[in-house]
Amino acid sequence: MPTVDAKPAPFTFDTDSTVLLVIDMQRDFLLPGGFGESLGNDVSQLSRTIEPLSVLMAAWRAQNLPIIHTREGHEPDLSDCPPSKLARGGIGEQGSFGRILIRGEYGHDIVDELQPLPGEPVIDKPGKGAFYATDLADILDKFGTKKLIVTGVTTEVCVHTTVREANDRGYDCLVLADCVGSYFPEFQRVGLEMIAAQGGIFGWVADSPAVIAALQEQK
Amino acid sequence: MTASIGPVKADPYPWPYDGTVPVSRTALICVDWQTDFCGKGGYVDSMGYDIELTRAGLPATARLLEHVRDLGMLVIHTREGHDPDLSDLPPNKRWRSARIGAEIGSDGPCGRILVKGEPGWEIVPEVAPVAGEVIVDKPGKGAFYATNLDLVLRTHGITHLILTGITTDVCVHTTMREANDRGYECLILSDCTGATDPSNHTAALHMVTMQGGVFGCVATSDDVIAATEP
Repeated sequence: MPTVDAKPAPFTFDTDSTVLLVIDMQRDFLLPGGFGESLGNDVSQLSRTIEPLSVLMAAWRAQNLPIIHTREGHEPDLSDCPPSKLARGGIGEQGSFGRILIRGEYGHDIVDELQPLPGEPVIDKPGKGAFYATDLADILDKFGTKKLIVTGVTTEVCVHTTVREANDRGYDCLVLADCVGSYFPEFQRVGLEMIAAQGGIFGWVADSPAVIAALQEQK
Repeated sequence: MTASIGPVKADPYPWPYDGTVPVSRTALICVDWQTDFCGKGGYVDSMGYDIELTRAGLPATARLLEHVRDLGMLVIHTREGHDPDLSDLPPNKRWRSARIGAEIGSDGPCGRILVKGEPGWEIVPEVAPVAGEVIVDKPGKGAFYATNLDLVLRTHGITHLILTGITTDVCVHTTMREANDRGYECLILSDCTGATDPSNHTAALHMVTMQGGVFGCVATSDDVIAATEP
């Protein structure tokens, strides 16, 4: 089985029961002119993940292994947006890439470089966590998933919330430092530290080249 | 007159978003104030962490509890723990706790670590539940997964949550994230929480306040007390 050099300990996974999860790599979060940038954030902190992630996805697909993508967003009538979230502003308003975080809009979709292939599930989620109010758990069950390799944005918000949900459900999670991004370097650092703290309280942390190397060694 | 709460002086906006709400729609959540996390001989103590850090929020929480009980606010306590046969303990959680020298289910100075019914699993006396308060037993870090918490809150008509407990970055944060996704308007109290690492406590509170309050708001127990009307 492939073994990855990781913190706080080596991470071993079986390719038959491991899914690559790609969280919210959406234009509204990553592209200049999108929702993220309009809030005053530095999107280059996120876009640096696109290159290593596309290399990892190619290596993963080369072995016909499963990838699941997620997108945060809401119905056009906002019926699935909690009032407290709506009150914080932005969602549903007109942005440079269509209505912000609304399903079907250009900005809500995944960046060109990381577009899902036919057959790869795309989970549309109304919250930060990918398990709440979605069929992610059912899809993982169907795949016989035991472990998740987690990538995407942002590290301390949607990635962390999803990893916490997955960890409580008993999945082993390996988070890839070079394939997750935060608008804030401090949160990137502490977000990764929290995952591996206390003997790996939420999971493991490594870099994508280590995963690719492990995949290729076992071929 | 119905008792009310808000606006509370909070970061990044006066909490809650909808101004002033009846206390009857608000619950105080006390997360995992258990001997295993903040008592001598418990799980956190066994792992070698300083329990003074996780105990730091006890006096303020005890004072706040007294205040909200007088107002008639719903109080919910949570406890992390597993069945004695460990049938609800994920293997990776057990493996990690063993690796760090405090295996869940093994015998410690306060009984079997994080096992329901053991002395270490009980809530410490300073903030112990009183008759009529809800206790939610949870197998994970989040208080919503595999529990009836959401049902209890909806049954009571609760829309707003005030969070205290330990640890800030682990169980309190996971629960706050779950609650936020479910549409509850959340407030976490900086003086009624604590972590095994002080910088994680600070970072976890800071994360809440970013992006206009991505998970809700941060305040102190004094801010809450000052913003309630009997």
